[in-house]
Amino acid sequence: MSVIETERLTKSYGSARGIEDVTISVEAAEVFGFLGPNGAGKTTAIRTLLDLLHPSSGSARIFGLDSHRDSVAIRARLGNLPGDFSYGKQATGREAIRLLARLRGIEGLGRAEALAERFRADLDRPLGQLSRGNRQKVGLILACFHSPELLILDEPTSGLDPLMQEEFLALVAEERERGCTVLLSSHELDEVERVCDRVGIVRAGKLIAVERIDELLGKALRTVTLELADPGDLADLRALSGVCDLQASDGKVSFKVAGDLDPVIKAIARRHVLDMELTHPTLEEIFLSYYREGEG
Amino acid sequence: MSSQLGALVLTHLSDRRRSLLAWGVPLGLWSAFIVLIFPSVEGALSKAIKNYPPALKEAFGIGELTNVEQYLHAEMLSLIVPLALGYLAVRAVSSGLSGAAESGRLDVLLSAPVSRSRLAAASFAATAVELAIILVLTVLGSLVSGADLSFGAALAGYANVWPLALMFAGFGVIATGFSLRTSVVTGSVAGVLVSMYVIDLIGRLDPDLSGIRYVSVFRYYGHAIEDGIEPLAFFAVTVAAIVLAAFGAWLFERRDLSG
Repeated sequence: MSVIETERLTKSYGSARGIEDVTISVEAAEVFGFLGPNGAGKTTAIRTLLDLLHPSSGSARIFGLDSHRDSVAIRARLGNLPGDFSYGKQATGREAIRLLARLRGIEGLGRAEALAERFRADLDRPLGQLSRGNRQKVGLILACFHSPELLILDEPTSGLDPLMQEEFLALVAEERERGCTVLLSSHELDEVERVCDRVGIVRAGKLIAVERIDELLGKALRTVTLELADPGDLADLRALSGVCDLQASDGKVSFKVAGDLDPVIKAIARRHVLDMELTHPTLEEIFLSYYREGEG
Repeated sequence: MSSQLGALVLTHLSDRRRSLLAWGVPLGLWSAFIVLIFPSVEGALSKAIKNYPPALKEAFGIGELTNVEQYLHAEMLSLIVPLALGYLAVRAVSSGLSGAAESGRLDVLLSAPVSRSRLAAASFAATAVELAIILVLTVLGSLVSGADLSFGAALAGYANVWPLALMFAGFGVIATGFSLRTSVVTGSVAGVLVSMYVIDLIGRLDPDLSGIRYVSVFRYYGHAIEDGIEPLAFFAVTVAAIVLAAFGAWLFERRDLSG
């Protein structure tokens, strides 16, 4: 049974963009990413799942329960990090966790202390005195301290420094090992690529694709730039499947490649390579590749 | 679960502890001041009040000022305390709902297995407790001043403000069903508060318009410091406040909570 299942979930409100006909299914112990630029509708999708927004049409089920009617029962089993986390200025992280623990009927603070040590989070200073990154750490602890079955994280690495981003990615991997299902939103392809099993690409409120992460990257065009001692005849490279837009001048060769890189690397290896750079596509380039595919 | 409600109420009160002191201590001190100066102004006041137009005396509930209870009613309980605590009640109840939404706390609380109705109920209950604490501080202020004030009368006078102020907390919960901006909630309910006061005032000033007083909660407020609490009015206004809050919670449950 899917942990999260939506069927043509739609939310339209006012003049702001909502989501339209979002259909996804997230399996147990899967890490699923909503990928899209800011304002694409990722947060709206998450807030609708959490019953903070009521759907205009369609349905959402979590743990097989109706996301609206059974919202309280669902929230007993999940942890949530809201986007742009804040909790007021006066309260400390410890006070916030203590209240959440009491609302969840948990004695003590669960694994909050261990997580605070891991993320080097200060639980005893008022949240208003913490930097955005340090507040985000408290938000992550609030989402995870009770070892939920499902984690819903809206832009979880926002404000975290690179070291803590690494720590977060490691935590997500451990949560998956434990059997926890994770739904996260991000506009950073690198982050999603490293931690997610599948991604849903959201653009302008619509889910334009759901792909396994390896398939997504395989379909996207990467740019290869080479500096060769002697470019010579490039016909073999040009003839390779997935290679396009090949350009050469003054010993520098650049081209785009989709799909398997192995034949490309082998073709390059037959030459004297002075320098080489492989550039992953930006989010927009991935979107463009999907649009191209749609047009094709 | 009552433990959830208790945790939410205690947290709300803890968050509002500064407000408790900021309202309770000045009101208590002002009450003490009024009681203390009464002996020195009593004679002059009686003379002055005899010259007041009867309608004005009726409008502001000013009768003979022959004892400190009457003076306390005229100076504190006829205008300042009801309006101040009515406004405080809206501020308090909205701090747990629209204020929590603005600070981001509402999203965090609603990630726990707690219903929005329970959050609204906790905010309303905490406001009821906060009002009671402030009123107790105010009563204590008027008693510790050592003047010849009846404890029972003072308690009845101030306790009678509690359901009235709570009524505006109920309106506050309703307002959060329509807006999660604290300025809109407090502004709109403060408008209702002042409007109700003015409607009651007009009804008292003009006997032909006395019927309009029935739409104002001030119609049921009375002079408890002199006449004692009217149990039926006290109970009815309390129940009305709870009904308003319940309706507000129903609206709050059904609205979108935009991020």
